[in-house]
Amino acid sequence: MLIPHPLLGLRDASEFTYLGDAALLDRPDGMAPDAAARFHDYVHLRDNPAGLHRELWFHEQGDRSWLVVTRNTLTHEILGAELARDVKTGGAA
Amino acid sequence: MTDLTPTCAFGEPTPRTHRIGALTLTEDAGLGLASLALRRDAPAPDLTLPGPGEWAATGDVAVFWTGPGQWMVEYPGGADRDVAADLALRAPGCAVTEQTDGFVCIRITGAPPALEALLERLVNLDPRRCGPGTATRTGVHHLSVFVVRPAGDQLAILGPRSAAQTIWHGLDLAATRQARVA
Repeated sequence: MLIPHPLLGLRDASEFTYLGDAALLDRPDGMAPDAAARFHDYVHLRDNPAGLHRELWFHEQGDRSWLVVTRNTLTHEILGAELARDVKTGGAA
Repeated sequence: MTDLTPTCAFGEPTPRTHRIGALTLTEDAGLGLASLALRRDAPAPDLTLPGPGEWAATGDVAVFWTGPGQWMVEYPGGADRDVAADLALRAPGCAVTEQTDGFVCIRITGAPPALEALLERLVNLDPRRCGPGTATRTGVHHLSVFVVRPAGDQLAILGPRSAAQTIWHGLDLAATRQARVA
């Protein structure tokens, strides 16, 4: 499986480690009144779609950047990859 | 004061070298290294900073990209100097870390086709993307290394010094097998 790294081009998936759903980027506010309930959902509840899935991959044996990879969980087709920091900051970094 | 004798990464008094067929492996014991990371509020350093996946020699140093906003600076023959202090002067306000003692550098020289054939055996990279002026971090022999191509007939592998023997073993074995079929 090849991952189209936005800076370095196609790189082998063996260089990466997988974290999970890209929704992990949206960490709840720990000071909110309902923080305990929101953190419960953040830590334990995940969608498990059959189809397109946005997920976090770490280029560990590479430039050590976090990527948001869009993958089809049925076919393992990789549809795109972006730098997670661009996703998080809206491309401002 | 105790008179200490420096040893090379392989524990020998002189750098290791081995000629295998068309390729020559040589330990570069003199290479000084320091890493550079930009900070949001720091001015641009007084250095040419190459883009992603690139290596560039400028003046007395060479710089290669290691990650977003991060570079490694090579000082040829600078292993016995405080290269981090020099880099800190050129890059005020940036994060500078001494790296010389953390890495072993093995240089492989040979004709470009022989080096590209070796790359095909060694790394999960497209050799066509590893031309002169490129530097990429990847895995070799289950270790994370930098694969630097300063020129067509030169290849440098920079990896963890504590695993120098393992890296050498991997490179030596690949070159030996290549020489056998060549």
